[in-house]
Amino acid sequence: MSLDLIIFIVLSALTLASAIGVVITRNPITSVLLLILTFFCISGHYLLMNAQFLAIVNIIVYAGAIMVLFLFVIMLMNLNKDTEPQKSTMVQFAGVISGGCLLLVILMAFQSSGIELTQTSTTVSNIGLIKVLGKKLFTDFVFPFEISSVLFLSAMIGTVVLGKKDDDIATAIQDS
Amino acid sequence: MGGMLGIVAAAILGVVMMFVGLISQKSSVIRIAGVACFLILVGVTAFDFSAIHEQGTQLYFNNMLSVGIKASWFNVLISACAFIYILIFNNHITKVGKNDAEYFALMLFIMVGVFMLSTYNHLLILFIGIEILSIPQYILAGSDKENIKSNEASLKYFLMGAFSTGILLMGITLIYGSVGSFEIGNIATAFQGEVTALPMIGVILLIIAFGFKVSAAPMHWWTADVYDGTPTAITPFMATIVKVAAFIGFINLFHGAFGNIHYSWKLTIAILICVTLFIGNITAVFQQSVKRMLAYSSIAQAGFMLFAVFALNDTAEKSIIYYGVSYTLASIGVFAVLIKLKDYTYEGFNGLGKSHPLYAITATVCLLSLAGIPVTSGFFAKYFVLTAAMEQGLWLGIIVFAVLMAAISIYYYFRVIRAMYFTSSTEEITIESNPMEQILLVINAVLVVLLGLFPQFILG
Amino acid sequence: MIQNIWLVPLFPLIGFLIAGLGRKQLGNAAGWIASAAVLASFIVSVMIFFEVSAEGFKSIDVHLYDFIKVGKLDIAFEFRVDQLSSLFLLIITGIGFLIHIYSIGYMKGDVGFGKYFAFLNLFIFSMLLLVLGSNFIIMFIGWEGVGLCSYLLIGFWYHKKEYSVAARKAFVMNRIGDLGFLIGMFLIFAKVGTLDFQTLETLSFKGVIAEPGYLTAIAFCFFVGAMGKSAQIPLFTWLPDAMAGPTPVSALIHAATMVTAGIYMITRAHFIFSFSETAQTFILIIGLTTALVSATIAIRQNDIKKVLAYSTVSQLGFMFMALGVGAYTTAVFHVLTHAFFKALLFLGSGSVIHAMSNEQDIRLMGGLKSKMPITHSTFLIGCLAIAGIPPLSGFFSKDEIMMNLFIHGTYGKVFWVLGMIAALLTAYYMFRLYFITFLGEFRGGDKLKSHLHESPALMTMPLIVLAILAAAGGFLGIPEVFAHDAHWLHNFLTPVIEKSLALEPTIHHLSHSAEYIMMAVAVSVAIIGILLAWGSYKKFDAKKENKGIEKFFEDKWHWDEAYENAFQKPFMKMSAFAEKNIERKGIDGGVNGIGKLVEFASDKLRLLQNGSVGVYLFLMVLGMILLFIIQLLSNG
Repeated sequence: MSLDLIIFIVLSALTLASAIGVVITRNPITSVLLLILTFFCISGHYLLMNAQFLAIVNIIVYAGAIMVLFLFVIMLMNLNKDTEPQKSTMVQFAGVISGGCLLLVILMAFQSSGIELTQTSTTVSNIGLIKVLGKKLFTDFVFPFEISSVLFLSAMIGTVVLGKKDDDIATAIQDS
Repeated sequence: MGGMLGIVAAAILGVVMMFVGLISQKSSVIRIAGVACFLILVGVTAFDFSAIHEQGTQLYFNNMLSVGIKASWFNVLISACAFIYILIFNNHITKVGKNDAEYFALMLFIMVGVFMLSTYNHLLILFIGIEILSIPQYILAGSDKENIKSNEASLKYFLMGAFSTGILLMGITLIYGSVGSFEIGNIATAFQGEVTALPMIGVILLIIAFGFKVSAAPMHWWTADVYDGTPTAITPFMATIVKVAAFIGFINLFHGAFGNIHYSWKLTIAILICVTLFIGNITAVFQQSVKRMLAYSSIAQAGFMLFAVFALNDTAEKSIIYYGVSYTLASIGVFAVLIKLKDYTYEGFNGLGKSHPLYAITATVCLLSLAGIPVTSGFFAKYFVLTAAMEQGLWLGIIVFAVLMAAISIYYYFRVIRAMYFTSSTEEITIESNPMEQILLVINAVLVVLLGLFPQFILG
Repeated sequence: MIQNIWLVPLFPLIGFLIAGLGRKQLGNAAGWIASAAVLASFIVSVMIFFEVSAEGFKSIDVHLYDFIKVGKLDIAFEFRVDQLSSLFLLIITGIGFLIHIYSIGYMKGDVGFGKYFAFLNLFIFSMLLLVLGSNFIIMFIGWEGVGLCSYLLIGFWYHKKEYSVAARKAFVMNRIGDLGFLIGMFLIFAKVGTLDFQTLETLSFKGVIAEPGYLTAIAFCFFVGAMGKSAQIPLFTWLPDAMAGPTPVSALIHAATMVTAGIYMITRAHFIFSFSETAQTFILIIGLTTALVSATIAIRQNDIKKVLAYSTVSQLGFMFMALGVGAYTTAVFHVLTHAFFKALLFLGSGSVIHAMSNEQDIRLMGGLKSKMPITHSTFLIGCLAIAGIPPLSGFFSKDEIMMNLFIHGTYGKVFWVLGMIAALLTAYYMFRLYFITFLGEFRGGDKLKSHLHESPALMTMPLIVLAILAAAGGFLGIPEVFAHDAHWLHNFLTPVIEKSLALEPTIHHLSHSAEYIMMAVAVSVAIIGILLAWGSYKKFDAKKENKGIEKFFEDKWHWDEAYENAFQKPFMKMSAFAEKNIERKGIDGGVNGIGKLVEFASDKLRLLQNGSVGVYLFLMVLGMILLFIIQLLSNG
């Protein structure tokens, strides 16, 4: 067993465990912290795949900015108690069962055909490096890269439209 | 560049619309600007079409977009439909909430998504297109902020939409994992004959994700609540133009990329068709609110449009465009009358035939079209998709089932007609009628009939 | 003129637009405009008819424009002019015109006068489209159009709730039939890829659709369509209910034209039916059963229009019997004569109802003979014609049907006997109606009696014209025994169905003496029927209750109740179940959630998340699992 594989297995286990933790835990703060852990683990995977830039961006954007925002919201709204609404055990049970079933079915499908997961590229790709990625983004993938701005723009409009009070919407636009 | 100017124009016009909102707060100015933007869009897509007509299919950005004659013709038609929608509804849109200019801007951004879905040749573009299509919708659904139902619709749509996005991504991942390429052409060449479970699961996940977007059962749960909660001025846009665009995306992918493995997914689609038709029609029968009935009827119509996905042939690809346009125009016509009423239940329509014959007659034509009565375009739309399925081979069972369900749909569409003509109202319905709007409604209704008389216009 | 065939449906369409748009401004002129439109069509039809009846005429397809061209589907908007369609053009526009004129008198003063004529013209237009279409698609457009107009006209007086219910019933039953039509079309298309009559006929006789099973399936589907439109068992209950519409509508739609669409369609598609013996036998049996059952019902009805309605159903049964034995021209012959005498009877009854201030119960009538001489005498001619008394038209057509039954296969004679029973019943119920209505004493009270009057000339003129037609119409088809080669109609229509005729045994192998005997039997059966009615109803006792089997007949064999129990209730239950479980619990959970949201505004978000979205996702995942499992199973 190579070192790569061992790290991969440990990281995967950790990712899955913390991700399940996010869903299971009742305390929002714990949940957010576990989510941050999950993101770190995913960044670890990126590193394994020789994508340092993505790993760093992942940590900065998700684990850093977004998660801090989450924590702010939770603290501002004073949600740091076990405020998870009581779901009936029936529903929870059914949810677990159905989720499990979906997993099982997909696994079964994989197994039934007995496919081996072939690696699409044997050499370690260097697409994740900042220089290569930048070049790719502005040559091959320039269209999706640019058109994503429309997506973000509409998301921003959405935040303003839904988030601001109607009275000061005009000023809000001017400010932004 | 001719061919993808539509996407560029829609994005720029969206930004322009935001600036218009900044410059003027007057809703009349914003309305005119909105109408103008959509008119320009029609012009630009028509220019695209003529360019493509001369040059033939064009590929852009390393084969990420492929603009063919069918796709650009679809773009023209869908922009024209959107233009008609904006013409009829612009003044209702500005009555919702206070961010008038932003609503128009968001709709223009949605048009970017629509054009991407009709022309994509790369799964990444498909994904971004679907997201551009969806995110503005979440916002538009919640645009009536004072109304709790609108908020609920927005949140529900967002949560469930996020779920379906996850499934879509998972599907794309599996396909990429087994082919090693995002390009439709490469996928099509890789998938020949038997396929393994890995891409198979990907295909099913994609069916589910698209099924969600086009509100096919059993992924339709959001539809009724969202369409019902969304402001009535916005609902027709979501229920028609967006849905049709999602169908075009659906067909492009499944006929283009997975056409060679049709055997493997046709059963799943057949099941979706049956379940969708059944649930849509049967539940629509019991609605008390016409708006909610229309939501279920849109599910039922989606069941018919799925036939075009099911049938892998040229007729199907043409018929979906025809069906889309016919369904869009008819729905717009019904919603335009619905929005005028205060009471959205069937009783609200009582005696409309007497008090406002013009509104009643246009609504009747559109309802007849939705029900699929001949001469109206709705009949031929249904007929074409079923013929397409018939050409595919003898799956007579589901066709019989579909025709049966179409017969059931008569019941609830005619309930509205009956309320308008055969029931008298206890109280007077007051509608502020506006001659401009009346003319538009008549034009719309005439179009519904004309398309039925000259289907060749769209198919040719 | 034939190239200008499009004028025929164009006039009523224009009439519809004018009468419909200007219904407020035009007033009574709407009726005249509508009538003029139909008259114009009639004139063109006559001109075309003369061209068609010229020696050696071959059918012509008049191409208007390319309707649909997509993939394999190539449908032209084409009108087919041949002997069959030109004959139907005459019936539709001719009788249509008379009924329009009559309606001007009948509907006078009605609030919906203009609307009525608009609908009537639209109906004529659809019917013409149905008849003229050169392929199944155009025919289907007309087919649906007449259904729609029928719906609109039955529910014309919508302020009475049961009327609009009757309209809906008619529409639903028709739609069930249309399903058959549509599916039949798909089946044909799937097999040969065309829906054009001419091409289909050629292909069919070349033996392209040779598998008997497939052909029978197609024939069955189309026959289901015909059942719906032509009110055959089990889809016949709508027709008597359809009498809710104004009486001229009953005459035009539910007696003379629309209900014969089924006959027309089967004649048109003879190239399918002639090849499927199973389907033909089925048609024969259905026709016979319908003729018998509805005749028994007609015996004990007390509503003047209901009697005529069941009589129509019964006569349609006769026509289907003729189709069942492959005697297409005979069926068309009966369509023709039936159009004359049934339109006459309905308009006569309309005249009676008009005089009786909209009272339709025959128990309250009686002795109208002296008050309404023209209505009385024309009505009597109609009754004699339908009963089959020579030399009125009904005798010839019915006799021909019976003759065809008699020589048909092994069981032909059994069918003949049963058909004779139906004929006996026909004579009986028609004369029961006649005796009760026109003879004896008036039973409606003094107030009504003072109102009794003959209808205005606008209404009686059409009656007289129709009476002449009903009396003389039979001479279009003089049987072989009386004069050689004198059956004009048969000779006229032969080119259309030539090829099918070659497959059927001809009528001529019956000896002349046998034919004379059968005619004698038929006439005596009719006379017996009349005498029986005379015996029972010379003195009518309105108070006598029906008992036993008569009560059963009066209650229409409980068909309606049976349907309600068999279809309507389970469907309602199923939907109620769906509503309760899927709708209420699943979807309305969200709506109810809103109610609660308003109550606990502070808990908005919490309730939303707790509420339906989770359930929706749960249901969605369940659906996904099922899809996966099915896919796995199907792929092995």
